[in-house]
Parts: sequence; structure tokens; C-alpha cells
Amino acid sequence: MPASSRSASKKLVDLDTALSVVKDGMTLGIGGWIFHGQPMALVRGLIRKGVRDLTLVPSPGSVAPDMLIGAGCVKTTACVFISFEHLGLAPNFRRAAQSGAVKVLEMDGPGIAGGLRAGACDLPYGLIPDLGTDLPKVNPEGYCKARVQEGGRPLLEVPAIKPDVVFLHGQQADEDGNVQYFGAGYFDLLMAQAARHVICSVDRIVPSSTVRQSARLTKIPSAFVDAIVVAPFGAHPGGSPGLYAQDEQHLKAYVAASRDQVAFNAYLTQHAHGGEDAYRDRIGAKALAGLTAGGTA
Amino acid sequence: MPLTTDSFAMGEMLAVLLSRDMADGEKAIVGTNSDIQVAACNLARQRQAPHLWWVSGPGGMTNPTEGIIRPAADAENIAVAEAVMDLPQMIDFIDWQVHFFDFAILGALQTDRFGNINTVCVGDHAKPRLRGPGTVGISALCGLSRRFYIMMTRHDRGAFVPKVDFVCGAGFLDGGTSRTDFGLPEGGPRLVVTPLGVFDFEPVTKAMRIRSLHEGVTLDEVRDNTGFDLVVPPNIERTANPADEELFLLRRTVDTTGVLARKFPWPKAN
Repeated sequence: MPASSRSASKKLVDLDTALSVVKDGMTLGIGGWIFHGQPMALVRGLIRKGVRDLTLVPSPGSVAPDMLIGAGCVKTTACVFISFEHLGLAPNFRRAAQSGAVKVLEMDGPGIAGGLRAGACDLPYGLIPDLGTDLPKVNPEGYCKARVQEGGRPLLEVPAIKPDVVFLHGQQADEDGNVQYFGAGYFDLLMAQAARHVICSVDRIVPSSTVRQSARLTKIPSAFVDAIVVAPFGAHPGGSPGLYAQDEQHLKAYVAASRDQVAFNAYLTQHAHGGEDAYRDRIGAKALAGLTAGGTA
Repeated sequence: MPLTTDSFAMGEMLAVLLSRDMADGEKAIVGTNSDIQVAACNLARQRQAPHLWWVSGPGGMTNPTEGIIRPAADAENIAVAEAVMDLPQMIDFIDWQVHFFDFAILGALQTDRFGNINTVCVGDHAKPRLRGPGTVGISALCGLSRRFYIMMTRHDRGAFVPKVDFVCGAGFLDGGTSRTDFGLPEGGPRLVVTPLGVFDFEPVTKAMRIRSLHEGVTLDEVRDNTGFDLVVPPNIERTANPADEELFLLRRTVDTTGVLARKFPWPKAN
């Protein structure tokens, strides 16, 4: 087929169109790792949309689950690890967990890995070793004594995790939805395999020839992607590996704004409710450009 | 008084103490936000353990060596690594395989008399006084590696408690043979390193024991800052300070931009 007669991409859609599949009460998986590759443009879009009662299954994360929790979109969250690392504990998650406003499904690495694997493989549950922790006590539905015990080690069953929707952020993709990562892929591909619907934001769209030049960077092949959204600086205030660093100054301001709900609502009004163009205007070209400049640790 | 020397930072001392215990050819894993762990592994590779193999848990980079300490998950480690693995593959040996890793080095909100660790919450889980970040790979690394190290950047009664409020990493559970009785593989914590000293576990009861105290630290001070009775050996050794050679290699080959000194100074004396 000549290139000129090729039909336009059906996967490349605008942010609101992509988010139209997300409904109240759904289970939402979130990719990335702590401050890396947090799908923030998608998160801000969801807050703007006003979705409620979500159950979150975040990869070890920071500002993506924390902002959704602070915006009141979340009823329950799995917690494998939610941390602001050197900036302290995740402020809105911490407040909601301590007050009981959000139910926390305590999980560990084997629990989420075994659950996602079972989900990806259409199996009812994954089998993991019982590691002697208190997790089964506080999350009995997530960790059941396995029906079959074999050998000297106690075993647990973890139910399959099949998120209704998963949000991922990659650095670039072609219009067909081959998503390339300049850093590690973390749990993103496994999340995509387990999910019913995958929405991936990228900082830029590139020609297919660019993707083919470095196919090893394609961590999420198009067969696993339902919607691609172009979102320049879409991982901000987190970083997008190889493109821009996390914005320490903004993250500190975020933590300060998270001191109480009134202050955090003001943050959301300023940063989430105006749309991505307004968001980038507010952060400012100079600040954003500074994050792309690199430098030594 | 804890040591507050100008000669080396607390982070440098902890890295040196950990690195001394590593052996050539061992396999290790480093988690997210682990500057001291990265430094300890790369220092050991410069000294007695040139074939130590370590992998970034989240990022999959093996033996990244650059002379700059970066967060283990960062993409910049890729260009200076020997291999880059993907997490969905790595979970086989992180979360399931027994004794793949010789060791991991873990921090915690709390640790207790039998070396169990907690990064989940202080107080009742349903309504915690302090909500921590969570468990991630700690359960598997404490449960499945041949040994682990507990690295605490603070040593006080809030962090050293009689029993952790939430076991997210199994040490010796209730002491004695309770760890293996439960069905966990042989292993458990080998050393606890803190700003005050180095601690190990008495072989039979598995209770935490003083191995050495840092320069200027008294027995009373350690007792005052520990929420349970430590086993006290007949002769308390003095921790050997980082030697000139260790500090030279650390600063010239491992941490050339001084990340440890900047991020982990000695706690201010009261």
C-alpha cells in the first residue's frame, strides 16, 4: 500500500478521548517507578474529569497515586511502595491512610508480581512463598493460604490482578503505538499484559522509521497499547528518563501544598484543572527547559 | 556522644562498614534510593571483592560503575552497566528463587530485638500513627537471600523497638529457631550498622548483640537509645574507623562528587 493511502492512526487520540473509557469505580493500574515515568498528564486529566471511587494498583510510585488520592478520586489503593524518597513520605497518601479516608490494600513485590503475572496469563491466582510477614493478617483477600502445600515451605495464593485500565508513560512512540523507553521499563509491560485497556502517554510522536532504527527501545509493542496520547512533559513533576529530570523545586512545593486539604485543593485548581497547555504555561518554559539540561548528580 | 568527626561523614562510615563484610564473587541487589548501598558495593569491588555482582532492583542495570553515585533506578546507569535486565524477568530471582542473592542491604522505620524490619506503619495498621512507604521487595529479600544487612541512619528508641509494629521483612521472627521452624530458608540478618555501632545476633537466641561501638560511643548511650535489652559481650570492641585507604578509594573512585557527605552527615549532637 502506498504510504499516502494509509489510514490515519486510530490509536493516537487526544487526552480527553483517551480518558473517556475511565469510569467511576474502576481498577486503575499505574506504571513507572517512584519519580520515573509517572503518567502525570493522564492523572491530571482524570482529576479534571472528576472520576471517583477508583481502586488503584500502582507500581512503586510517588506523585501519581498521591495526587489522585489527594484529589478524592480514590476509594481503595493497593500499596506496594508509595514514597517521595528523599522528600519524605507521600503526603496525601499518608494523610488518607492515617485518617482511614482511603482503604489500603497492603502488598509486596511478590504479591503484585504474582498477581499481575496471573492476570497476564489468564490464571485465577499466582503462587508465592509465605515470607513470614504480617501482610496476610491485614490483607487476607490478597494473601490466602494456598490450597496446595508442598514441601517444607508454606505457600500463599495471590489473586490475579486485571486492571480495567492502565496508565503508562514512555518517552516516544510512533502513531501505531510502539512505545519506546530510554530508561528501564519497570513493571510497565507486565501491567500492560495484565490490563484490559492500556493508555500510554509519550513526550513526543516520532516517525515509524525512527522507532525501527532503535527497535530495542520499544518496551511496549503496539499490540499491547489501546491509546497513545502525546503529552509533552507529561511525566512532570516526575522525570522522563533520558529526556528530563524530576523537578525538585516543584516537588518540594507540592509537598508544602499537601499540608492540608484546603491548600492541596488550591494546588489542584492551579495545576490540574486548567488542562495541559495551561499547566506547561504555569510551570514555564525556562523551568521546563532547565530540566532537560542534564548535569552531574 | 556519637562520633561527629570532620574526617568522614556518617554515610561514608556506613558504606565502609558494610563494604568490609562483602566477599568476592557474591551476588547482591540494591533497591531504590540506596546511595550508601551503591557506595558499599562499588567500594568492595575496588578492594577485596572485584567480582562482586550487584544489580539495581528496579532498573536492572548490573555493576554500573562510573564514580558517581546515582539513584539505582536512573537511566544514566545504563551507559555504565554490564547488562540491563527487565523487571518482569528479574522477579523470578528477586521474588521466588531461594538463595539467589547472597545479600541485600535494607533500611527500615523500625527494627527489633530479632532483626525483623518494618517500613509499613507505626501503630495499628488500620489507623497508623505514621504511614510508611510500604514493603516492595523487602519481604522477599529478607525471606530468600542468604543473609541481609540492616542499615539504620538513626539509632533511637523510635527505631529500635522491642517488637516491630508490622513485620514486612522477616528477621529471626521470635528468635531461636522460629525462622526456620516457620518454613523460611536459612538466612536472616547478619549485621545492623547504625550511627552508634555495629550489631550482630547471638547464635542460639538470635537476639541482637553489640559487636562494636563507634569511637566516642558509650554502652549507656547505646542502651538509652535502644528500646530493648541488647546482648552485651564481655569485651566490647571499638569499631575500626574508615582507614585512609578506604576513604581514598571511596572518594576517588566511587563517590567522586561527594554524594554521601552531602546527603548523610552525622546527626547533630544534642
